[in-house]
Amino acid sequence: MDLPKQIEILFRENSALANKISEEISKLAPRVVKKLGLDKIKIMNFCGSHEWTTTHYGLRALMPLEVELIPGPGCPVCVTPSSDIENVIKLAMEGYRVYTFGDVFKLPTVKHYKSGEIGSLAAAKASGADVRIVYSFADAIEEAKKDGKPSVFFGIGFETTAPSYAVLFTKEKVPENLLFYSSLKLTAPAAEYAVQLHKEAKRTPVSGVIGPGHVSTIIGAISWDFFPKKYGIPAVVAGFEPIDILTGVLVILNNLYRGKAEFTNLEYRRVATYKGNIFALENIKVAFNVVDTIWRGIGNIPKSGLTLSEKFKKYDAKTQLGIKEKPWDYDLPPGCKCNEVTLGLAYPTDCPLFMKACTPARPWGPCMVSMEGACAVWARFGSYERIKDAISEVK
Amino acid sequence: MCWAVPAKVVSIDSDVIATVDLGQNTLKKVAIGVDDVKIGDYVMVHAGVIIAKLRKEEVWENIKFISDQIRETAQLLGEDPEEAVKSYLESMKSILEDLGVKSDGR
Repeated sequence: MDLPKQIEILFRENSALANKISEEISKLAPRVVKKLGLDKIKIMNFCGSHEWTTTHYGLRALMPLEVELIPGPGCPVCVTPSSDIENVIKLAMEGYRVYTFGDVFKLPTVKHYKSGEIGSLAAAKASGADVRIVYSFADAIEEAKKDGKPSVFFGIGFETTAPSYAVLFTKEKVPENLLFYSSLKLTAPAAEYAVQLHKEAKRTPVSGVIGPGHVSTIIGAISWDFFPKKYGIPAVVAGFEPIDILTGVLVILNNLYRGKAEFTNLEYRRVATYKGNIFALENIKVAFNVVDTIWRGIGNIPKSGLTLSEKFKKYDAKTQLGIKEKPWDYDLPPGCKCNEVTLGLAYPTDCPLFMKACTPARPWGPCMVSMEGACAVWARFGSYERIKDAISEVK
Repeated sequence: MCWAVPAKVVSIDSDVIATVDLGQNTLKKVAIGVDDVKIGDYVMVHAGVIIAKLRKEEVWENIKFISDQIRETAQLLGEDPEEAVKSYLESMKSILEDLGVKSDGR
């Protein structure tokens, strides 16, 4: 049996272990709630893939009433600002070939709702623009090299995606006809922003956080140590299989019950080391600079983005084509609660548009576009509402 | 976007590009984002870049970690910690055998 299959059997298909861990969680949770004097234990994840696992495998249904699993900012497509999409559409309409990932293709701009202008790269393509979906930056490079056409790569993503760009820049593999439009974001500053919001009055604070496994593969699991140190909140770095998340919840409850907020790298040895991928980090450091950046529907978050460094400015689409970044203006479609969903302040089902005006087939807001957006995940794999419906049917 | 997938390195094509098998002979050219990748290595691939290498012993490390958690929880709940770990490792028997580890953890 090969290694990926072993991992699958152990962490995904092992229902006996899942039941065992959920039993332990159910025993511990009431004691923790009583001890902390809270109405519930809120645990936030910061990755669309964690939300996918939680919803797809029905992990919320395995939680006792005292434990609430909430999605946080974890989908780079959902937070790509409308102004970036508008800029790239403009370049496509001016004759540049635009390369991007499939998730970004249908992402709507806010202008689209107001004026009926071309509102997505998909619409631009339908109007004759040369927009191409690629699997990776490496594929775009290969194609751009072949025909030499002036092109722009719309580079979105978190720290996991950043090395795919960085290594190709630092190894001088990018042809001069391929410019790079960076909309890269960093997860930790947004995670901290979200947790701080929950600390405000009248909200149940976040009692534990589950840090993203593969982002931590790059930045190092230790990057999440600031949660216990600065906020007294246990932090667990976990993988993406159901057992990973269940174990993460159990570790957090153990921490809370013992009254000791710690940092745990659950993924340790299985890809996310404490220090991360030094090779990738060094390449990112050479290729990019950390800057303040805008998150869709949220606004500016300090030091939460990456832009090409001085050494590679000749590839920077914004600098080379004179694109000026405007101050943030509210950029969600009317009625859309994607910003609240992204920050864990609302569930997708709290949005009046969810599965009415906004569906996976006809997404209205950005969180319904990407398959890792919380709304798209809830739309496809269920929600509290569906569980409630199922229970009422049984009754 | 953040979900990397396991793959096997099939060939090293240049200083920065490798071909990987994502399963069922789906081959992809990807950027090399880690030090020292060899043909036959198991790796995690994300958005066209190798972000980490995978090792068999890492799976065993995870199993050990989970048993520590089960032991700790049993202690907190006033149950027999060693009995809890034993039943857990027993349920892992076939995987452990495949990893070359006995179900008592040795």
